[in-house]
Amino acid sequence: MNVDLAAAGKGGAKDAKGKKDGKKKKDEADDLSPEDAKLKADLDLLAERALDADAGVQKAALDAMINEIRSSTSSMTSVPKPLKFLRPHYAVLKAAFATCSNQANKTLMADVLSVLAMTMGGEGERESLKFKLQGSIDDIGTWGHEYVRNLSGEIAAEYEELTADKAAAVNVDSASGTLGSVFLLIRQMVPFFMKHNSEPEAVDLLMEVESLHEIINHVDPANCTRICLYLEQVSRYVPEPDDRKVIATAIACLRKVGKVTEAVRFALLIGDIDLVVEIINSCDDPSLRKQAAFLLSRQGVRPELKDESLADICAGSLLSENYLNLARELDVVEPKLPEDIFKTYLERKGGALSNFDSARQNLASTFVNAFVNAGYGADKLMLTEGNKWLYKNKEHGMMSAAASLGVLLLWDVDNGLTQIDKFLYSTDNYIKAGALLAVGLLNTGVRNECDPALALLAEHLESSNAMMKIAAIFGLGMAYVGSQKEEVLEMLLPIVADTDAPLDVASFAALALGLVFVGSCHEDVCQCVMAALMEREQSALEAQSLARFLCVGAGLLYLGKQSAVDVTLELSKTIPGRIGEYCERTLETCAYMGSGNVLKVQRLMAMTGEHPDAPAPLTAVEGAAEGAPAAAPPPAAGAAAAGAGAGAASAGGGASTAAVKAEDKLFDAQTVATFGIALVAMGEEFGAQMAHRSFGHMLQYGDVSARRGVPLAVGLLHASVPKQEAVDLLSKLSHDPDVPTATNSILAMGLVGAGTNNSRVANNLRALASYYSKEAGLLFAVRVAQGLLHAGKGLLGFNAYHSGRAVFCPNAGAALVTLMHVLLDFKGLILGKHHYLLYVLIAAAAPRMLITVDEELKPLPVSVRVGTAVDIVGLAGKPKSITGFQTHQTPVLLGHEDRAELATDEYLPLHSTLEGFIILKKNPEYVAPAKE
Amino acid sequence: MGQNQSGLPGQQDPNAQKEKEKKAKKYEQPAPTRIGKKKKKKASGIQESKLPVVVPHTKCKLKLLKLERVKDYLLMEEEFIQNQERLRPAEEKTQEERSKVDDLRGTPMGVGTLEEMIDDNHAIVSSSVGPEYYVNIMTFVDKDQIEPGCSILMHNKVLSVVGLLADDVDPMVSVMKVDKAPLESYADIGGLESQITEIKEAVELPMTHPELYEEVGIKPPKGVILYGEPGTGKTLLAKAVANHTSATFLRVVGSELIQKYLGDGPKLVRELFRVADEHAPSIVFIDEIDAVGTKRYDATSGGEREIQRTMLELLNQLDGFDSRGDVKVILATNKIESLDPALLRPGRIDRKIEFPMPDVKTKRHIFGIHTTKMTLADDVNLEEFVMSKDELSGADIKAICTEAGLLALRERRMKVSQAEFRKAKENVLYKKKGGHPEGLYL
Repeated sequence: MNVDLAAAGKGGAKDAKGKKDGKKKKDEADDLSPEDAKLKADLDLLAERALDADAGVQKAALDAMINEIRSSTSSMTSVPKPLKFLRPHYAVLKAAFATCSNQANKTLMADVLSVLAMTMGGEGERESLKFKLQGSIDDIGTWGHEYVRNLSGEIAAEYEELTADKAAAVNVDSASGTLGSVFLLIRQMVPFFMKHNSEPEAVDLLMEVESLHEIINHVDPANCTRICLYLEQVSRYVPEPDDRKVIATAIACLRKVGKVTEAVRFALLIGDIDLVVEIINSCDDPSLRKQAAFLLSRQGVRPELKDESLADICAGSLLSENYLNLARELDVVEPKLPEDIFKTYLERKGGALSNFDSARQNLASTFVNAFVNAGYGADKLMLTEGNKWLYKNKEHGMMSAAASLGVLLLWDVDNGLTQIDKFLYSTDNYIKAGALLAVGLLNTGVRNECDPALALLAEHLESSNAMMKIAAIFGLGMAYVGSQKEEVLEMLLPIVADTDAPLDVASFAALALGLVFVGSCHEDVCQCVMAALMEREQSALEAQSLARFLCVGAGLLYLGKQSAVDVTLELSKTIPGRIGEYCERTLETCAYMGSGNVLKVQRLMAMTGEHPDAPAPLTAVEGAAEGAPAAAPPPAAGAAAAGAGAGAASAGGGASTAAVKAEDKLFDAQTVATFGIALVAMGEEFGAQMAHRSFGHMLQYGDVSARRGVPLAVGLLHASVPKQEAVDLLSKLSHDPDVPTATNSILAMGLVGAGTNNSRVANNLRALASYYSKEAGLLFAVRVAQGLLHAGKGLLGFNAYHSGRAVFCPNAGAALVTLMHVLLDFKGLILGKHHYLLYVLIAAAAPRMLITVDEELKPLPVSVRVGTAVDIVGLAGKPKSITGFQTHQTPVLLGHEDRAELATDEYLPLHSTLEGFIILKKNPEYVAPAKE
Repeated sequence: MGQNQSGLPGQQDPNAQKEKEKKAKKYEQPAPTRIGKKKKKKASGIQESKLPVVVPHTKCKLKLLKLERVKDYLLMEEEFIQNQERLRPAEEKTQEERSKVDDLRGTPMGVGTLEEMIDDNHAIVSSSVGPEYYVNIMTFVDKDQIEPGCSILMHNKVLSVVGLLADDVDPMVSVMKVDKAPLESYADIGGLESQITEIKEAVELPMTHPELYEEVGIKPPKGVILYGEPGTGKTLLAKAVANHTSATFLRVVGSELIQKYLGDGPKLVRELFRVADEHAPSIVFIDEIDAVGTKRYDATSGGEREIQRTMLELLNQLDGFDSRGDVKVILATNKIESLDPALLRPGRIDRKIEFPMPDVKTKRHIFGIHTTKMTLADDVNLEEFVMSKDELSGADIKAICTEAGLLALRERRMKVSQAEFRKAKENVLYKKKGGHPEGLYL
């Protein structure tokens, strides 16, 4: 019915009129009111006169006609009366126009015909434009908005045709001649649109004729915001090279009106750091520079800036202090025990209590403790006297426990290092390794000029103990995530290149390099990693679960860089076997992360629909053959493969045979493709919503491998955004008989609620905890998810997008991607020895706060309104940008879908997107309300 | 609370007891179950399949791009499903699943009523025989659709809920839906040009061109009221609107809303608007609104109070807490002065369209419309009637034409003459004036 209406709407008014006219034709004479009849007679006369041979008469008639047309007002539902009455004369006038000799009159007549052509001209003839070009170039606005709009539509069509002609090199001269006059016309129309509150139309017109840059001439402070908002949204939907042009135009507009910080934000949208540096360096106002530096700090990039004083802000040295301030303000400083999170007394005890091994329970508590008290620098387990808790863990558990110190003391480099220091001299290798990792984690997201992480970790890279080596490598990767530090490159590259180095060490080195050089397309690193993938034995690679980090490392290098990946992608096709396929898929999905590229989604979707195991008899043999190397690993190959083997055996009891077969696959390209859809689509809301829709089909038709990817995809799409539809789907999947699917959905649920304290998610997880109370692995997943849910006691966010849900933060993206790949082998990695990999998520953590400071960077509490953001692009007037708001005093917490605005006129923010740190300036025009 | 009731015995040892006491004050109310609440039907089930809303409504490139994006994804979905169907037809699969569900349901099934939801998986049901049971809800039952008071299917032995019987729309409302468009079109209306324009702007245009309103930054009107003397074409215009638009058209007469039992009237109003909402875009036409919409006063009889309550519900539906999406309301009455002011305030009814008695030109037009299909004698001069001083409404003119035709029929003539028209006019006006002959002053 909607379609009907829309179709009717298109020609609705006109058609109806036409039909009515047809029926009324016969008694038209007495149908007209006296005024109408008079008007009609007048116009008939004028039309006749316009054909007169005498130029004077003709001119008078045309002038009168123009006057009549311009002065007519009409209802929205019908064609203006003069136009209606002149319709019968259209053909005659056209003929007269062709023969008209007087130039002045010809121009006038062209004007009239152009207007008439709007209602009379056939589809695709563009007569209106044709006549307009021959008519007078006066103020077109006087003919009314509808006319200008019609004209712009015809210009777009004309331009397309002309440029197509040009390409074919047919009559270039005439084409360019017409183009010239078309542009003249455009220069008139754009200011008209600007004046009449329809900036989108101006932008559209200029985009159609590929000269968007002209908009810069028409920008003023009043319309700049609206134009840029529109451009920002358009850029998300236009194909690859154009989007940068659109953003570049927006940046130019913003710089023209002096909105420096907004320009920086837009430059970050396209990840152009050089441009950011240029913008900041060219800015004179120190406060604006500081504000821009805060943006950079949130983005996690630290370019060399002219103004040295900004380095501190960029390095995030204010982060820890203000985060604690926020905590104090919200009264959540008191450390929480894992038990406070689990609330086991609320869980329903199912029958007898489980005899669940306490080491794993303690390990879970360690993680929960780390996540919940992240960044607070205080807890009740690890930082207390005696370190009793540390020794309640066993072996690798001790390593994770020690590493959790880094998370607890997150961002607080000076203070944190002294607390970790003593563990660095521990005699226990596990603790020492953990402490090394803690040093790395501590520095995640902040920088210190002494580079303590580099200094402390470098010496352990040569350690003979593989575990310490891994910890140091991983620590380096975390500490310098996104920094592209050359020193790290020099240290780690040889490890990857060395084919004699143990595979696990090399894999971690590749991952660390990927993290450090995320999205840089660094050639050397890429070649080195790819070489490692090609030179090593395929069977060795496929037996070691950690080998996936070679692929992930390569993928992260191209994170969000789209077609830059092409060469490497071709290269990856030469890698044989499953790992080759896995690598190819990883590279592809990483490179197109957040691009919204529909073709990629289509490809990936087709892959998830494949059924490699479908023809039963054939693949049964194949599956067995493939399973063989994985199921019978050489004893030294590590517990990962063994875990997988054991998993296969244990799952054999309950799960279906298909699940067992899939269990054998350590490297499942199909699962990567599934959550790859989410990676590609997460850039814009429509892709995200539509992708969410298609997951239903995948669950319905897809194989078990695709099924396992779906919860991960949902988790990615809704990281820290506990939307009901996502939580519902995940809670359904968390009872899946396929164990990896259930595990993935449990952790995805944690990720969806990460740092929000969402009560529904908490309830679901609590119910799951009692449901899975006898299954150690799943219960562990539930506990970790609970920890994530309450991460930072509800003050942290893990979404890769910030600053109005638009700017993609590659560091956070890298963390999320890595976590997803880790979860592909939950059993082997997390339940095995490498649970500390969960800490990778810390790189995505950022306090979701709004802190207002004055120009001296001192906290300045003001009242702000916080509410759900509303899309106001292209709306008329000054619409409200938030709905259902509440007024708070800063600092405040902001949800991912929230938006804030100042509730007072006393101060002006230096950046329009109120998130993170915002510098306020006194409003010079502010008048305090008179007091009684 | 559900958790407590179904908590298992076994935590009775004293240690746990103490623990429990200590924790007791920390007890947190679990978030209430989302399912099993009374809710608007709209929210049930279809939520997932709904497409995202594209803003802005204004025609612009951004809107085009966004819509194209949505279309791309839909095409991909289609492709995916087609490929999968080729590999393994869904029919086969659904049949398999259906038979499995049938096995679980067992035969024969019983019908019962859901009394109360306990938690996500349990409920109290009552069968037609009487006793109530605490039973399971099978996982395959769509829990979004069940709500207290709905009819359910029960397993024959364990009485667990195995399905639900869809609650269908009040038959009263389904009658109101106009399935066959009326034949009257705008062309059949004599005059009333400005009224037609107004109603088009207020009712049709917001549905076909919502962007126009957004561009100016206003909300389109919600409804109009048509008022004027009897026989001036109010209902006719509503019919023409129904004829012209492809939106769902629901028509009610005010008196239909008055029901025998207490509370039935307001319920009917609610149903009416719910159906309208479901079938949006739609137009609700309430003729003779004065039947329920008269001014409020201290009523003594229960019947009158009920009528007033019906009107209050109508007020709420017109501009209450829930937003009416694409539902437009047309009211018609010939006693606008007796209507409750609350009903007519802007926001509920934004436009009042008056239907005046036809002027000379309109009269001529109306005569023309009604006589086009009649064979008239040569001596007929309609101008005489058109120019006469009598107050003639559109309905009167139609009556005159019909009456004249009947008179001619009585004479067994195939043509209608001027004399018959004169006689017919006299007759019609005589009846209209309550039986007093014309020109007699009493």
